[in-house]
Amino acid sequence: MSRTDDKDLKGNFKPQDAPHYDDVLQCMRCGFCLPTCPTYALTGRERSSPRGRVALARAVAEQKLEFTQAVKEESFFCLDCRACTTACPSGVRAGEVMEICRSQSHAFYPLGTAGKAFREFILQKMLPSPEKLETSMLPTRLYQRLGIQWLVRHSKVLKLGPGWMEKAEGMLPELDKPLRTQLPERIEAKGKKRGKVGFFLGCVMTLMYPGVSRQTVRVLVHQGFEVITPRNTKCCGAPHLSEGDRQTARELALFNLDLFLDQDVDYIVTDCAGCGASLKEYEELLEGQAEHAKLAKFRSKIRDITEFLAEVGLRTEGLKPVNKTVTYHEPCHLCHAQGVSAQPRKLLKQIPGVELREMAEASWCCGSAATWGLKYSEESQKVLDRKLGNVRATGAEALVTANPGCHLQLAWGVREAGMPQQVLHLMELLGEATPD
Amino acid sequence: MISTTAIEHLKEKLGAQNVLYEKEDLLVLGYDSTPGVHHLPEVVVYPTSTEQVLAAMEIAQREGLPIVPRGSGTGLSGGSVPVQGGMVICLTRMNRILEIDEENLTATVEAGVVTLDLFNAVAAKGLFYPPDPGSQKISTLGGNVMENAGGLRGLKYGVTRDYVMALKCVLPDGSILTTGGKSVKDVAGYNFKDLLCGSEGTLGIITEITVKLIPPPKDKRTFLAYFNDMRTAGEAVSKIIAAKIIPSTMEIMDKATINCVEDYVKIGLPRQMAALLLIEVDGHPAMVAEEAEAVEKILREVNAAEVHVAKTAEEAASLAAARRTALSALARVSPTTLLEDATVPRSRLADTFDEIERLTEKYQLKVGTFGHAGDGNLHPTVLCDERNADEMQRAHAFYNELYEKVLAWGGTVSGEHGIGLAKKEYLARQIGPGGVAVMKRIKQSFDPKGLLNPGKIFDEGDPCSKPHVEEGFRVSH
Repeated sequence: MSRTDDKDLKGNFKPQDAPHYDDVLQCMRCGFCLPTCPTYALTGRERSSPRGRVALARAVAEQKLEFTQAVKEESFFCLDCRACTTACPSGVRAGEVMEICRSQSHAFYPLGTAGKAFREFILQKMLPSPEKLETSMLPTRLYQRLGIQWLVRHSKVLKLGPGWMEKAEGMLPELDKPLRTQLPERIEAKGKKRGKVGFFLGCVMTLMYPGVSRQTVRVLVHQGFEVITPRNTKCCGAPHLSEGDRQTARELALFNLDLFLDQDVDYIVTDCAGCGASLKEYEELLEGQAEHAKLAKFRSKIRDITEFLAEVGLRTEGLKPVNKTVTYHEPCHLCHAQGVSAQPRKLLKQIPGVELREMAEASWCCGSAATWGLKYSEESQKVLDRKLGNVRATGAEALVTANPGCHLQLAWGVREAGMPQQVLHLMELLGEATPD
Repeated sequence: MISTTAIEHLKEKLGAQNVLYEKEDLLVLGYDSTPGVHHLPEVVVYPTSTEQVLAAMEIAQREGLPIVPRGSGTGLSGGSVPVQGGMVICLTRMNRILEIDEENLTATVEAGVVTLDLFNAVAAKGLFYPPDPGSQKISTLGGNVMENAGGLRGLKYGVTRDYVMALKCVLPDGSILTTGGKSVKDVAGYNFKDLLCGSEGTLGIITEITVKLIPPPKDKRTFLAYFNDMRTAGEAVSKIIAAKIIPSTMEIMDKATINCVEDYVKIGLPRQMAALLLIEVDGHPAMVAEEAEAVEKILREVNAAEVHVAKTAEEAASLAAARRTALSALARVSPTTLLEDATVPRSRLADTFDEIERLTEKYQLKVGTFGHAGDGNLHPTVLCDERNADEMQRAHAFYNELYEKVLAWGGTVSGEHGIGLAKKEYLARQIGPGGVAVMKRIKQSFDPKGLLNPGKIFDEGDPCSKPHVEEGFRVSH
């Protein structure tokens, strides 16, 4: 068989949602990605490296390889932390190629009836519906309130179930009422008004960390912004992309796109790095499915909260001192996927009383990576241990981050390791400094 | 094909986790960083000790399998591509720094230690390991020795060979050769050490390396000079050398390279300039001051468009780091980057730039040129698309003609990347049939059966050396 000139060779991929051939051909195999990849660091196996994974995708496109079980495994073993994207001088996006391969996996290896039903129930019924998600968390809250959690944790009954269940249970923070239903849809700015922002409240934030997002909104208002939080916002689609369900992700994206553009806000802000990354990529995800001008307009408005505050400038007058030494863990979806790295540090340094102590490898993944930490719990522990070692070395009192996935994993890790650090979202710290 | 018995034996000797033979693993261990060359091995092993290397080699011998050693696969001449299949011995899991001897100023490491890790480990003890290949974050010491890698500091400090003091090496007949030691002077017998440096895995497999360390320079100054044309930049380099100043670094980038690197690093490199020189002088503070002044004077004399001095060490480091990404950054422009390693006497630099320009025009190509101008080592890189046969043909004609000039001027076909698969023809032209014949006889005395990294450096003229194609896979050349 001879080489083809086909610009978008699909080869052994299914035609729907296949990686662009040009994107895999772009890799010149220099290996700059190797030292940045957590899974390559774990295994030392070339196929578990970004360079190797792109080579596998290229081989599938060139029909040197079928979409084999191993290709599927690699696509899910990739943390999608995007550290390789940051490191790649040639501009290859190996994480995205693997994300696309995840959706290919479902086309090639359909789940059994029960697995399919469970997956569809979670991705297509639960996540798109904020109400259903909230109701489903009710038993969990009751479970915590009634002290059953204490009993369960101490009696070790979870040891009997699958491994991930115990970890998932252990990771749950103390749950409060979801924020979505409590937050007014519109809150007026305080002081001299600086603009109008739409707040994208993520699912994990409203359910697991309502207190954090409450602070985010308080800070925005105090900083002079009118905050609009559309109550019918749907999930950003990140979990769907992560699980390879690009179709549902597109439906959610189309809904959110119109919802937020209709609000006529200057910016769309989120305090969840995962949501931010996903929203910023609607442009690629919805390519050809929505008007380009609309997508570009939406994209231009999206900001992570730390990026936003650093950009518009923090009003520091009146801030109360927070006397703490802190170290900062960079969420992958903030620093690698969004390129937001200097801004959170800038904010931390502006909070009176806060002393920032840099940790080594601040932008190395914590091992959470959506459901990766549950699927590969042993590997995740190793990635986490490396992170905790770096945290420990700083001797800081608090560990600050800016993404709920990292937050859950780090809080759990710190507790399990018996470390003294308090784990905080950057907005909690800023909220503490913000007067009522 | 390798037998299942042999696989079992390998697993017994090396441990199952260190023996890979699934096709997905084979597929990703059949390339290095050289475009257009790819071939599958039959098995890949990751030894963790010299004894395991020996065991793997014995099994390969028994099975009649070609043996190809490999590190991180950052090579740029195809040196670690297993063109005849066989066994790839990947040394990345032998990555311990065994000793840093502060009394003798040496470090002893296993072959799979990453270059930058060694650099950092000795720096922590106030010592300096000068060789710094562009891929230092990824490349291994074993690979550096085998390819005799150069780098950004080559001008003043030389290449890897200049720092190797001792090697431990497994030979195909199962013997272990140790050569050299910690004695600074050693003239006992043939110099195997120098022979093995740059032997590209064709004579033996290096498992342990002792390198020389030096005290770090006390001071340094970094300049960035911009030029309106490449020729003037070349003249500046020649004049600095003629003024008897040896900077530690004198790196050049042309406009295409500047723009690609800037796209990636975004540190404000001048996109409109035709050329840029990154110059670093280091040493004793008094000498640095004197040399820096002289360099600045020459840059003004030749009419550099602008001259900047890095204000901080971080700024200097970020400039050097940016330069290291040049080749990969060029890959933004086109799917394929075909790079060469032409090296000329420094007085010929300006002529070489003219020649590159002329040939770019003649063959209607897109070329980005960067390199270690101070040591005459240039990397003209054709930015092409391997799917375009006509363009690839023109690219090869470009290099063919360029090398004719380079050799006529007394240059060499490789400054630091080795010959591998990519430059066999050019090497034969450079050293002549007599030279190739002697190399073959040396190869014979180390590896009579021709099992070690066959098909590299020179053609063996062996009918069996035809590439080996596995069912279900296409192989590109």
